[in-house]
Amino acid sequence: MTINHRLLDILRRGRSPHENHLIDGLVRGAFSRREFLRYGSVLGLSAPLLGGITSAVGFGLAPSMARAGTPGGTIRYGQIVPAAAVNPVTVADGGGLTVLSQFGETLVFSAPDLSAQPLLAESWAPNADGTVWTFKLRQNVKFHNGKVMTADDVVATFDRLSDPEMGSNALSVFTGVLSKGGTRKVDDYTVEFHLDAANGSFPYAVSTDNYNSIIIPAEFPEDFEATMVGTGPFKLEKYTPKVGASFVRNTDYWGPAPLPDRVEATFYGDYQPQILALQGGAIDVIQQLPVLQAVALLNDPNFTIISTPSSAHQQVHMRTDMDPFKDKRVRQAVALTLDRPKIIAGLMRGKAQIGNDSPFMPAFPSTNPSVPQRQQDIAQAKQLMEAAGVGAGFQTTLTTEKYLEIPDYAVLIQNAVKEIGIDLQLNIMDQGTYYGDAVFGKSPWLDSSMGISDYGHRGVPNLFLQAPLMSGGPWNSAHFNNAEYDALVKGFVASLDLESQRATAGQIQTLLLDETPLIQAYFYDFLTVTKAGATGVVPTAMGHLMLGQASL
Amino acid sequence: MMLALLTLWLLSVLIFLGGHLLPGNVGRAMLGPLADQAAVDVLNHEMGTDRPLLVQYLDWIAGFLTGDLGQSYAYRSPVAPFLMTALLNSAKLAAVAFVLVVPLGILGGVVAALYRGRAADRILSVVGLSATVVPEFVSGIVLILIFGIWLRWFPISATWVDGAGPLTQLYHLILPAIPLVLILFGYIARMARAGMIEALDADYTRTAVLKGLSYPKVIWRHVLRNALLPTISVIATQTVYLIGGLVVIEILFHYQGIGSLIYTAAKKKDFPMLQAGVMSIGALFALTTFLADLLYARLNPRIRFGGRE
Repeated sequence: MTINHRLLDILRRGRSPHENHLIDGLVRGAFSRREFLRYGSVLGLSAPLLGGITSAVGFGLAPSMARAGTPGGTIRYGQIVPAAAVNPVTVADGGGLTVLSQFGETLVFSAPDLSAQPLLAESWAPNADGTVWTFKLRQNVKFHNGKVMTADDVVATFDRLSDPEMGSNALSVFTGVLSKGGTRKVDDYTVEFHLDAANGSFPYAVSTDNYNSIIIPAEFPEDFEATMVGTGPFKLEKYTPKVGASFVRNTDYWGPAPLPDRVEATFYGDYQPQILALQGGAIDVIQQLPVLQAVALLNDPNFTIISTPSSAHQQVHMRTDMDPFKDKRVRQAVALTLDRPKIIAGLMRGKAQIGNDSPFMPAFPSTNPSVPQRQQDIAQAKQLMEAAGVGAGFQTTLTTEKYLEIPDYAVLIQNAVKEIGIDLQLNIMDQGTYYGDAVFGKSPWLDSSMGISDYGHRGVPNLFLQAPLMSGGPWNSAHFNNAEYDALVKGFVASLDLESQRATAGQIQTLLLDETPLIQAYFYDFLTVTKAGATGVVPTAMGHLMLGQASL
Repeated sequence: MMLALLTLWLLSVLIFLGGHLLPGNVGRAMLGPLADQAAVDVLNHEMGTDRPLLVQYLDWIAGFLTGDLGQSYAYRSPVAPFLMTALLNSAKLAAVAFVLVVPLGILGGVVAALYRGRAADRILSVVGLSATVVPEFVSGIVLILIFGIWLRWFPISATWVDGAGPLTQLYHLILPAIPLVLILFGYIARMARAGMIEALDADYTRTAVLKGLSYPKVIWRHVLRNALLPTISVIATQTVYLIGGLVVIEILFHYQGIGSLIYTAAKKKDFPMLQAGVMSIGALFALTTFLADLLYARLNPRIRFGGRE
């Protein structure tokens, strides 16, 4: 690998210290080309520049994804019915999000490879300490109502989302990150985000990773569902709550001309009818299928499965503040009983990535790969139980929800811990009961001594590191309270360069392996099914389905 | 009539209390477990679900009595259009199933009774019973696989395109109606058979035969009229099931009926929707029972003239 230093010097000109630090890391071999591209995109380096740097350092050019589809036709897809009104401020469910993704767009696209790519923003950059991020907007973007998108619309969108008075679902992302008034217009096409605290991954908070952050006109229509004004490749044709929606090509689209004439969404209450509809030719695409449901289609040549790795996982918590899991050796012992590769092969049909009892899944660039993977070790588990004074075992209850494969996973855990003398009773309830009021004292999720909860995908681990693990975190079902951990996470979130993120991540991963408040045994893939031969269907692990360049 | 109204009122109290006794609050159910508490509080306040239960109930019942079914929590729009569409859809599916199963069931029962103990009787009983115990999600999937996916004779989804004519609608409803026919056929046939046998053995039938009436006349005038009385009350109760109890069929065949409306409303704590749905089913139950009583009286002079004795 030869490094073209002269070219590299030219490309380095005008780069900030953070950006040059990142380039140094690539030259030294501290991280791979892929990680460099991804993190460079977060810092706001443009794609041509990133490509230039990687080729100067001796890597080949990024492979082109382009494969021309045929324009025209209608794409019919199936999805789970939105649970509530399709209102960008309040949408909190995957079904609603999938509908939003047909007509709305965000500033940043969190791509399936976890890189941050420009969408409505052309570029972005942080200030020196990561407390202010400046976004340059695209200038040729028109809303479906004909109005040109400007900084005013972006400011209004984020003021609405960060306003506690609006009942915004985005508060779970923005609390402690961005407050109302923090979004400021610089000129018509430049916006500054003044953050509550330094944040090295802020672009993800205004990306497709945030359900609610699609840009809508400043004058938010009272009856949003009737118009669904956005900037996306498709415009609303008709929406019938609980039944379906249809969209037509937006001829004024700023990006590459959308290929399909129309997109038809059909809402289903369950997965089975969608599989039947796909087999019967009534729909062409199923937006998402859980692995357990997709088994029938996995080896069928008539269909193509798009498998997107995600950070979504089923999180096992053990209460660190009360028996029987107060002693960390007992928690370690439980984690050591699991045969993770077998769980992935059997329960998840191989459609999952292995987890190491921290939110750092293998695909996050910040994950420190030098931390050893926890493996099944019954002998050591027995020793730990002995050392903790519970060598004879004990009886306790695992409380969880009836959702996806969780009940089956609970049974696997029940069998695994039998080996070390733990008699686990299962208490499996419906989702609403399990989460209850979602506050301490009124929620089996937060109060049970051991439980399994579902966590959806995020492009960066920040949220997983904070709410469920920081002392006093609102979703801290393990009641984990560790000052060292809190300090490490604060440092991780604020840090702007990948190398120091990874160093801190290593410390966090090691600390969590030692303490084991949570077990993350696997991170499951997000499966989208299309008719064989379909091209250009782009799902995200959040639940978007982008059909602008799709063809059958 | 008073009794029916009292029943409906009790139903309204039960459904209201039952719904609110379940753990979790409405705003939380709408926004999900991971939403910020501030957002949940704002939403609860907007919807009025942070008020005392009694106030909420009085507010709702006052609206209900004046014909205002309220706003759906989940969809933030009036409940009435959702309810009307769902009721209409359910009524259509129920009508198709009803038209298929009632004549078939009665015919089957009559034939079985007339050929009592012989092959036809045995076959009808066994087939009817077996069909009744096959759950609708099993027969539904088998039907979809055979007629929807392999043969492609019928559409898989019961939902038709907007503006479709009655024949297209009927075409979409035949496949989902068959599992219902299978379930109800055995039940209705058995009731009809039992009634028929009782009537055939009755003295008045023997008298009718002995006085020289033709056989068809005996069956039509004397036997059927008496035999079908219990069957009618069975059919009446099943009508309510056909309209309100088809959650599985509606989900499997992707149809927007009242059953799945109530089911999803209960799951999402969308109380105005849930209450309106359950109340309409309750009202329907009262109405069909009333109609069945009228029909019963029409067929049975003993009831019609009972008051004079």
